[in-house]
Amino acid sequence: MSGHRATVPAALAVLALYGSLLASLAWVVEPAMLGALLGSGRVWFSLRLSLYAATVATALALLLAVPAAYALSRHRFRGRQLVEAMLEFPLIVSPAALGAILLIFFSQPLGLWLQEHVTRVVFTATGVVLAQFVTILGVAVRMLKVAFDQVPVELETVARSLGAEPRHVFRTVTLPLARRGLVAAGVLAWAKALGEFGATLMVAGTMALRTETLPIAIHLRLASADVEGTVALILLLVGLGLGALALARLLLREPDHA
Amino acid sequence: MLELLGVATQAGDFRLEEIRLQVAAGCCHAVLGPSGSGKSLLLRTVLGVQAPTAGRVRLEGRDLAALPVERRGLGYVPQHLALFPHLTLRQNVEFGLRAQGRVRRGDQEYLDSLVEATGIGPLLDRRPDTLSGGERQRAALVRALAPRPRAILLDEPFAALDTSLRRELGLLLLELRRREGLTVLLVTHDLDEAYLLSDQVSVLVAGVQAQSGEKAAVFQRPASLAVARFLGLRNHVEARVLKLTPEGFAVDCPALGGRLLLGPGQGSAGAPAPAPGDALWLGIRPEWVALRDEAHPARPDERLLEGPAQIAELGSDLLVRVRDAASGLRLDVVVPRRQARRFGLPEHPERVRLGVDPRLLYWMPAEKDPRESVGTTEIHENKASC
Repeated sequence: MSGHRATVPAALAVLALYGSLLASLAWVVEPAMLGALLGSGRVWFSLRLSLYAATVATALALLLAVPAAYALSRHRFRGRQLVEAMLEFPLIVSPAALGAILLIFFSQPLGLWLQEHVTRVVFTATGVVLAQFVTILGVAVRMLKVAFDQVPVELETVARSLGAEPRHVFRTVTLPLARRGLVAAGVLAWAKALGEFGATLMVAGTMALRTETLPIAIHLRLASADVEGTVALILLLVGLGLGALALARLLLREPDHA
Repeated sequence: MLELLGVATQAGDFRLEEIRLQVAAGCCHAVLGPSGSGKSLLLRTVLGVQAPTAGRVRLEGRDLAALPVERRGLGYVPQHLALFPHLTLRQNVEFGLRAQGRVRRGDQEYLDSLVEATGIGPLLDRRPDTLSGGERQRAALVRALAPRPRAILLDEPFAALDTSLRRELGLLLLELRRREGLTVLLVTHDLDEAYLLSDQVSVLVAGVQAQSGEKAAVFQRPASLAVARFLGLRNHVEARVLKLTPEGFAVDCPALGGRLLLGPGQGSAGAPAPAPGDALWLGIRPEWVALRDEAHPARPDERLLEGPAQIAELGSDLLVRVRDAASGLRLDVVVPRRQARRFGLPEHPERVRLGVDPRLLYWMPAEKDPRESVGTTEIHENKASC
């Protein structure tokens, strides 16, 4: 038992590490400066763009991730293992490299044609959405697969034996039972998209009032030695991210049984 | 009628060999077998979840091969019941009718009658996780029966319940079966459950249909040693056929005193007649071995065995395990405790005498591999009755 208790300091060390990093911001920030920055139009633009891009990217990712994760959870098909391996791609490749790959893709003939005939991507808000979408898709599929894996297949089999078509089974049995995992995956993907920097920088650049998301704004402020402004934006981003994560934890909590 | 015509399938390295059986309308066929014998795989193949590698499944003359699970008209109660945890019991039992878009008046009345017969009415607004095992079991049965399936598949339906509840629910299912004329394919490893609920049984051993037939015939005259052992029968002794006689055939069984005469009806139905020189197993059910002493002498045609006994208590019965001093043969006997007391048991197990009536013996071919017993399978048509 004492061996098990000896692991507690390690857990507390994690808290101490991140806690002290956050606490260090208090040395720099001034409430007056924080208020002034949050009142600036440029900051509000960054906030609006970040929220918009993260929300659209998450919605698009879920649209593809839900059926993909269900297929990976329920069906054996050729190429399945390759798909599973590819889900790790955004994790093993750094965001900057992922963004560079996107940039290279859109400088190739197919990418140029898409930009010409479908939508401009490079150095636009669409590029921000795309960079975030590519970064979070793998994680969203992975989390949703876990959520579907936790719904026993036997429930679906029984539902079908009762005469329910597969679509009806998905809607009335699988989705409601995977709901918490689905929402949690959405929230975490959204938080990850909100904080995305590397890929966004590569694809959309650092154009003020055009592609300046909150992480890009932090980068620009720090580059111009505006430490107070950097800290204020960091606190804003941290607040949004922590709020999303708190929501995810709330949704992941096991319901109390009487 | 539900028919399995040479149904075979494979899951990983496990092969389920050609299964042939028929469940007449209103009858119950139990597929018995130890864990890992392929019972659940068979049921999933009939249901349409597992693809067969050979054979066909027919329901009321219609080939089910092209039909998905939801269009087969088969009810299904899996081993763990799979009640929908996010729905109330009412939503669970109405799921099938709603999924098929038909909550007509007759259907609702039928569902109400099932709810009443199973006594789950007061529980309908509760969720499955607040119910006992028996209550969940009843609800799963009602849910499966509500859309009026043409046949119902039960996978170890009472496995998670204690003995008394299992018997109570077995009787309830039997009553429902008879009242509603249900056609049931049941898989179970529980011998009592199979005997209570079924008319016909098949025994699966390592993916092979080792025996099939009317339940009493299978239980009393197993077709192979593997089947006998699964049925809990342990009293077996080797013998060899001497010659055929007008009444049957004569065997030499040294452990039972030499030459014995056996009739053709003492083998499993459909078993090929043995030829002189064939090796056989002879068996006798433990409840058919008689205790003997001076006050209860052996009948003239009985073979006597005598030796020390080990006693085990089985509730109201005693299991008396006697090792014959002369031959070393070990026989298990099950006798009611009151009857055993007349023979000084369990207090005096030092010397116990047994009488074995050769007419109560059953015989089986002396094959070693359970897969060899496939040829003894007996298929009953049962078109008119169970």
